[in-house]
Amino acid sequence: MKSLRYNDIDFLIEKTEGKFNIFRVIPDGSYAIVGTGLFPGQPESQAQESAQALVKTIFPVGIKVVGPDVSHPHPIGEINIVGPDVGHPNFIYWNSDSTSFPV
Amino acid sequence: MEIKESVFLITGSSSGIGEAVAKFFASKGAKVTVVGRKQENIDRVVGDIKQAGGEAIGIAGDVTSEADTARFIQATVAAFGKLNVVVAAAGIIKDGTMLTLDKETGKVSRKLTLEKWRAVIDDDLTGTFLTLRDAAEAMVNGGWEGLLVPISSVNKIGQIGQLNYSSAKAAVALMPKIIVGEFLMRGIRNIRCVGIAPGYTATPMLTGMNQEALKEILADVHIGRLIEPNEIAQMIAHCVENGALNGTTIEITGGLCNANGIAK
Repeated sequence: MKSLRYNDIDFLIEKTEGKFNIFRVIPDGSYAIVGTGLFPGQPESQAQESAQALVKTIFPVGIKVVGPDVSHPHPIGEINIVGPDVGHPNFIYWNSDSTSFPV
Repeated sequence: MEIKESVFLITGSSSGIGEAVAKFFASKGAKVTVVGRKQENIDRVVGDIKQAGGEAIGIAGDVTSEADTARFIQATVAAFGKLNVVVAAAGIIKDGTMLTLDKETGKVSRKLTLEKWRAVIDDDLTGTFLTLRDAAEAMVNGGWEGLLVPISSVNKIGQIGQLNYSSAKAAVALMPKIIVGEFLMRGIRNIRCVGIAPGYTATPMLTGMNQEALKEILADVHIGRLIEPNEIAQMIAHCVENGALNGTTIEITGGLCNANGIAK
């Protein structure tokens, strides 16, 4: 079972009967199924890329509070604010009450 | 259109009618995208589909968001390579009469709030529009045969206490006629649109309600019981397979009548 990490979420990719399943690791250590029966016939390396692209779409980049990078060479005062990657193709401007923010 | 190997996207499928529809088509060999608001419900439905040997992905999102509806389509195509059938089943209710009077003074004591009005119109009408629009765009650009299925309601004829919901569902019921007319005008011949207007259905919302009130509802239903969500799924399956069904909204109510036996 291969793994990938995206947007602070861990995923596992499993191959069964020529198709792939993607699981999301939940903080309590259990798994949730992101997708099943995917990428039939793809070699594992290609399926890994396809899985990465898929989870980026399903769990888009949201705004995340990033703590100060105290080791940054150019801090502003004592706090360095790192903004979200607004150039990301799946960047979404979340509304404050959006229900679609991945938990 | 064949159900097996077709790709379905079903909004509102983390519970109720949508969930039953998603599981039904997954059990028939279709590939299914489950869309809902709550991640834990989505995980459960996709888990059930996998357990039954089906193929699915799950996405959390909000049908009133353009960014989200575009993402549902994008993820479906990324996972399964195409999109054939969209069932827009996401919907909410926020009931209340337009005006409520004070019993003693006879003056208006409460009004249906703009918040309640907008929430239902946004979710049930705008959400359906965005889902159908973006799905149709993908089908046209991908060259895939398609079917759009907006879910209306028998309450499209007007239900007291549901000015917002009935207005939204009446508009949704009208969509197939307009969409198919526009497709004809634009030369789009391989995508159909058929609406479904369910009657009282055995979803948790109804089965969990006051049993006396439920009995009153059933007194107006000719078959004497709630419609099963699977029966709605079977109706959609017929719409998928019967290429002549197009540009209309079909009621599935079990024979809903008023107390005097007059067809509602």
